[in-house]
Amino acid sequence: MALTFSRRAAVGLGFVASVAFAGAAAAEGERIAVITPYLAQPGTQFYVEAFQARAGELGWEVNVIDTAGDVAAVISRMEDVVNQGVDAIVLNVDPAQVGAGLDAAAAAKIPVFGMDAGADARIQANITSNGYAMAAETAVYVANRIGGAGNVVMFTFDPFPPVQVRGVIADAVFGNYPDIKVLDRITPDVADGGIADARAKMEAVLAANPEPGSIKAVWAAWDQPALGALQAIEAAGRQGEGIVITGIDANPQARDEIAKGGNFEASVAQDFAGIGRTTADTVARVLGGETLKANVIYVPTKLITAANAAE
Amino acid sequence: MGHALRSYGTLIGMAAVILFFWVMLPDTFMTARNWINLSQQMSMLIVVATVMTVVMAVGDFDLSVGAMASLAGVVAAVLFAQGHGIAVAVAAALAVGLLGGALNGALVSLLGILPFVATLATLTIFSGVAFLVSDGKTISGRAIPEAFAGFARGGIVLGGGERPLVLSWLAILAFLGVALVWLVLEQTSYGRRLYALGGNMEAARLAGIKVARLRLTAFLFTGVGAAVAGLMYAARVASANPTQGDGLMLTAIAAVFLGMTMTRGGQPRVLATLAGVVVLGVMDNGLTQLNVDSYVREVLVGAIILAAVSISAIGRRAVGMR
Repeated sequence: MALTFSRRAAVGLGFVASVAFAGAAAAEGERIAVITPYLAQPGTQFYVEAFQARAGELGWEVNVIDTAGDVAAVISRMEDVVNQGVDAIVLNVDPAQVGAGLDAAAAAKIPVFGMDAGADARIQANITSNGYAMAAETAVYVANRIGGAGNVVMFTFDPFPPVQVRGVIADAVFGNYPDIKVLDRITPDVADGGIADARAKMEAVLAANPEPGSIKAVWAAWDQPALGALQAIEAAGRQGEGIVITGIDANPQARDEIAKGGNFEASVAQDFAGIGRTTADTVARVLGGETLKANVIYVPTKLITAANAAE
Repeated sequence: MGHALRSYGTLIGMAAVILFFWVMLPDTFMTARNWINLSQQMSMLIVVATVMTVVMAVGDFDLSVGAMASLAGVVAAVLFAQGHGIAVAVAAALAVGLLGGALNGALVSLLGILPFVATLATLTIFSGVAFLVSDGKTISGRAIPEAFAGFARGGIVLGGGERPLVLSWLAILAFLGVALVWLVLEQTSYGRRLYALGGNMEAARLAGIKVARLRLTAFLFTGVGAAVAGLMYAARVASANPTQGDGLMLTAIAAVFLGMTMTRGGQPRVLATLAGVVVLGVMDNGLTQLNVDSYVREVLVGAIILAAVSISAIGRRAVGMR
């Protein structure tokens, strides 16, 4: 009897101790390292801040490491935090460039996540925006605005994969309307950002199609050629013909033009804060023991028109 | 007292930094794995700082090493992208380094342009050429041969079982570089003449040393060394872009200065430079593990350099007043 009692007491004590220990561990929180060479860039700041906010709610200790453009230092810092034994690593850099760091993390069984980084077999999941979906938003906007009929000029850039996928979707959407004709599919020279050359190319297209109504819309795979096309149309004095222009990315200059209510009617904004939040939630799922099926997770984007451009 | 402070101040400070991290990170800092990590993290800086020691021994400077490292990496990557093999690409990158070094040396020793000005100009030229050669793009992915990137990940396995401890080829290469330059500077008459040049160029000339030729050769070390470091960098990140090595230059100079605070007469010495690199590398490594903010880390590293140089200066003044 005495023996049973003491044994029970011992079990009880052990239980109390283990609860106390677990409590201490929980209070300490998971340690997450966020490593990027690009913290100075505005988009990166948005998602890192949103990630930190969500991590704060989850009780995590987050170490944000900026290597100021140095990609080799990203590998070094990955090795350091692997050695430190963090619970997860979040990257914002092309995983192809930090393979040595990914190997180190994999050897230590520390999960790595991409925040708008790119896909890699050693990354649990990359959280980003869906380029296909963004292109679909603006392509159907154009098709609907011109009533499914008329000539469309496209500005695309196939050498850069994230932009190439946008062009593929627009081709499909316009191809699905028998009365929409793609007048020209232009790849502007992007050495100066794309505005100046897109303007020159658009001026040539306008000159070749002088009749009002002969060009119904300009669909651009990103904002710069859309802005260039707008300049060309305004310089030719043809802004009254109702040519619809769309871009993608919703950069500040594009938003300004869209807000004016002129020819530049729509663009698509990525939800940077949403990417940060969703990355934190995805880390939480994996730390909670879940195995992710998809290794790319898309955060919804938003169509920007005159109605919401000023937001 | 002043002498002791001067000779040992930096060493004591170095020991204090290491002890601090050892106490603060008892489980992870003073481990074989961490020091192996450190050795490969510091490898590129070790190479650049070591060759920088050679030109600084002569009393000169080379500001173009970072740009040369970027250029060498880009040259190799572009040749890879054109389908050339590793031997061709590496040889071409090293040749570019040798040529760049010869250009620097000629400008400084034959034309007599101040090294600060000459190498600032070549820094800009090398950087511009790197942008031209690469079209301003990052060259990565399938263009980079697996074996080239694999070099940075491989090494000699020292044990460790499931998570092997690997002394990387990068670190081994860096240590070989240190050994080579140490031999040249400390054990050959060529090295002694370089230091004689650094001590007093006029006296060296009067003593019959061929000053111009000797001064030129020192820049060949920085040119080739920077190219080697650039190739190491490109292998480590399995890619190359026209700016990736740029940060090496200032850190390398800082490491040499840190090292100079612990040598007799404040001369640049290879092993002292290595100690300087270790201090800088340990700071980055330890402060990252302590979750210190990246920007605070930079401020602290700068403060440590200032502290070391100040202690050394105070020590020198104390010696002078005696």
